[in-house]
Amino acid sequence: MSERGAADSGVDQERRQRLIKLASAAVFLAIVAVAVAIAVAATRTEGGDTEVEGAAAITRQLAGIPQNGMVLGDPSAKVTLVEFGDLQCPACKVYAEEILPEAIESKVRGGEAKLDFRNFTIIGEDSTPAAAAAVAAGEQGRGWSFVEVFYRNQGFEGTGYVTDEFLTAIAEAAGVPDIERWERDRHGKRILAAVERTTAEARDLGLDSTPSFAVEGPRTNGLEVVEDAGSAGELEEAIERAG
Amino acid sequence: MSAAARRSRARGAPTLSLPAEGTLRRAATFLASFGIGVAAYIAIAEADGGAPACLAGGGGCEKVAASSHSELLGIGVAAIGIAGYALLLATALLRGDGARMGGFLLGLVGFGYSVYLTWLELFVIEAVCQWCVVSALIMTALFAVNALRMVAYVGRPA
Repeated sequence: MSERGAADSGVDQERRQRLIKLASAAVFLAIVAVAVAIAVAATRTEGGDTEVEGAAAITRQLAGIPQNGMVLGDPSAKVTLVEFGDLQCPACKVYAEEILPEAIESKVRGGEAKLDFRNFTIIGEDSTPAAAAAVAAGEQGRGWSFVEVFYRNQGFEGTGYVTDEFLTAIAEAAGVPDIERWERDRHGKRILAAVERTTAEARDLGLDSTPSFAVEGPRTNGLEVVEDAGSAGELEEAIERAG
Repeated sequence: MSAAARRSRARGAPTLSLPAEGTLRRAATFLASFGIGVAAYIAIAEADGGAPACLAGGGGCEKVAASSHSELLGIGVAAIGIAGYALLLATALLRGDGARMGGFLLGLVGFGYSVYLTWLELFVIEAVCQWCVVSALIMTALFAVNALRMVAYVGRPA
C-alpha cells in the first residue's frame, strides 16, 4: 500500500498515516469495549442458574394483546374480568395454564373484555415480594407476561424459591425492558401499597381463596364476584352477562 | 490496470488488485440498504410484544425478542440498527476522507456491538434469532468493506 501511496500524486502521506493510526487506535478501543461489555454481562449472569421455561410460549400467547399495568386487553373494553390471585397459589397456576388461555382468546383478544390481575397475597410471606415484582413489571407494560411466566415456573409454595435471583430471571424472561428500574420499583412504597390495596379489596369483597374472579360491566352493579368460575365457559358466560 | 499497479509490478513488488473505491461504495450502499430492511422488519415484528418469524422454528426469535437485551436504554436494538445502517448508508453515498473514516468507525462500532449481541444470544439468552444472525453478517460485511475503503483510499483525493 505504501508503494502505491508514494506513487500516486496528490496523496497527503502525513495525513494518511495519521488517519490510519487513528483507525488503529479505534480498533484497539473497540476490542477493549467489547471485552469489557462481555465481562460485565458475564458477571451479571454469574450465579443466575435459574432456568426459566415457557417464556416463548407466553410471548406467542399474548402477542398482539395490549398490556397496561396489570390489565390485559383493550383498555376501552366495556367488561372487566378481575382475577384475584396469589403468584404462589398452585390453583392459580392451573387456571393460568388450562382455563384462562381459552377465555383470553375468545373474549380478550377480540376486545370484548379486559382481564385485570389483582394480587391477593394470602399464601405466605413470599407472596408479597412476588406480587410487588409483578406490579413493577406492569409499570413497564409486562405485568401479564410476568404473571404468566411466573406461573409456568412456580415452585412449591412456601419453600423459599421466590428469591431475588428467581424474580429477576422471571422479569428478564417476561421481557421487562428496564431491569434496573424494575428492581427499584418493586421495593418502592408505592408498589407495595398497591399490593396491600388489592389484597384489602379482595377481603372487602368477602373473598378467602385464590383464584377468585369478579366482573364489572354495563350490566353489573359495580364489581360483582363470579360465584361459578370453574371453567373457561363459566368465565365467558360471566363476561357475557356483564356486557 | 492502474498506473500505480503497473509501477509496482515494474519494481518487482507483488501486485494486489484492490477494488475501485466506487465499487466498495456501491457494495456498502447495497449492504446498508439490505441492513435497513432487515432491521426494519425486526422492529415492526417486535412492535406490540411480537417477534420476527424464525424460519426454522424453535422459538429462538421469540425468546430473543422477549429478552431484556432486545432494548438498550429503553430503545429497541432493532431501531438502533436502523439508525446505524442509515448512517452507514450516508457514508457510502458521500465522498472524501470524512465519509471514509466515518464509515470505518460506524462499521467498527456496529461490528463490535454485533459481536456483543451474538455473545449474549449464545451464552446469556441461550437462543439464536436467525434475523439477528443475518444482521450481524451484514454488519460484518459492511465493516470489512469500509475497512478496505479506509485503508486503501484514506488520504487520497476523492
